Amino acid sequence: MQAIRSYTQSVSAIMALVMVLSSMWAIPASANIVGTGELLTEQRADVDREALMGMLEREDVKSTLASMGVGEQEVRDRIQSLTPSELADFQQQLAEAPTGEGVVGIIVLFLLVFIITDMLCATDIFPFINCIR
Amino acid sequence: MMLNAQDVAATPDELVSKVYLPERKGALQVEMVAAARQYGMLVYPLAPELEAVLQEVRAGHPVLVLQNLRFGWWPQWHFAVVTGYDSKKEVLILHSGTEENYRLPVRAFMATWKRSEQWARVILPPGQLPATAEPLTFLMAAHDLETTQQTRAAKSAYKAAAEAWPDQPAAMLGLGNLAYQQGHWSEAEEYYRAMTKRFPDISAGWNNLAEALSKQGKDEESFAMLNKAQEAKKRSQKQGSD
Repeated sequence: MQAIRSYTQSVSAIMALVMVLSSMWAIPASANIVGTGELLTEQRADVDREALMGMLEREDVKSTLASMGVGEQEVRDRIQSLTPSELADFQQQLAEAPTGEGVVGIIVLFLLVFIITDMLCATDIFPFINCIR
Repeated sequence: MMLNAQDVAATPDELVSKVYLPERKGALQVEMVAAARQYGMLVYPLAPELEAVLQEVRAGHPVLVLQNLRFGWWPQWHFAVVTGYDSKKEVLILHSGTEENYRLPVRAFMATWKRSEQWARVILPPGQLPATAEPLTFLMAAHDLETTQQTRAAKSAYKAAAEAWPDQPAAMLGLGNLAYQQGHWSEAEEYYRAMTKRFPDISAGWNNLAEALSKQGKDEESFAMLNKAQEAKKRSQKQGSD
């Protein structure tokens, strides 16, 4: 028993050293490189988000939204919370958006944004939409 | 024909075996595109507008289009290559089937093309930019080459993109990642370094730089770069919430 006790200190010292070394080495090794595709989807999402935000800048859109009782900041927050894949669903509309899209089209687009965020429980504007989470 | 225009030696027979599905009497869009990539070509999806097609044709790039010659409910899909445009008579010149200079009025073309949601692709050597190239779309096309193991083609596409749009971080990251995947750590390090210098707010650059350094056994420096990656991430999150 006495013999084992005398070992424990040196064994634990070695073990501690191994732990420290392995964790130090493991941090860079366990992380992986970020793929080009990941960065691209992120950037595409940023561009789409900006396009949506840009539509919000139009005066006629602002006033229509206000008359519907929807705050501008609220829309902004929703847009910010959309994921890249959700944004990609709007791609068709977004591609056509900057050139001559009417107010109605833009408002419908924003309503879609609200419906999607409603489904994700981020908002609760339409009572008939059930949260999926 | 699309391939021959870019000086790729491909015989019709060789291609038929790659894209033709006998039971469907034709080829699928996916296969047309995949076959071009197998020859190391970059496939660029055009904006679904006639103007984009005309612009490419004017630049001397033939455009692959998909037409539906019949109706939506009873489709007859057909691939053709737009090679020219007669602006006076408003007539498109197509390579359609085995006919080399098939003249089709724009109105008729639009009717058949609309039913394919105006599907159009340009197939070019990867170092060459389409006339209507958009940075992100082009980079995504280059990334398609990367994922299909066309490393050399992907590299020249990324290089062309980095030159044409120096403000696109993905081009640099792509070059670094290609070198990394091939095990050229120090070359990857160089690209990542250049990227972090230009785009210090993008954490991916720092993160991958750390990886390339640790592969070369420079653990201490690698650790420092990981910290920078964290910092960059925090910075960009802060920007997003503002």
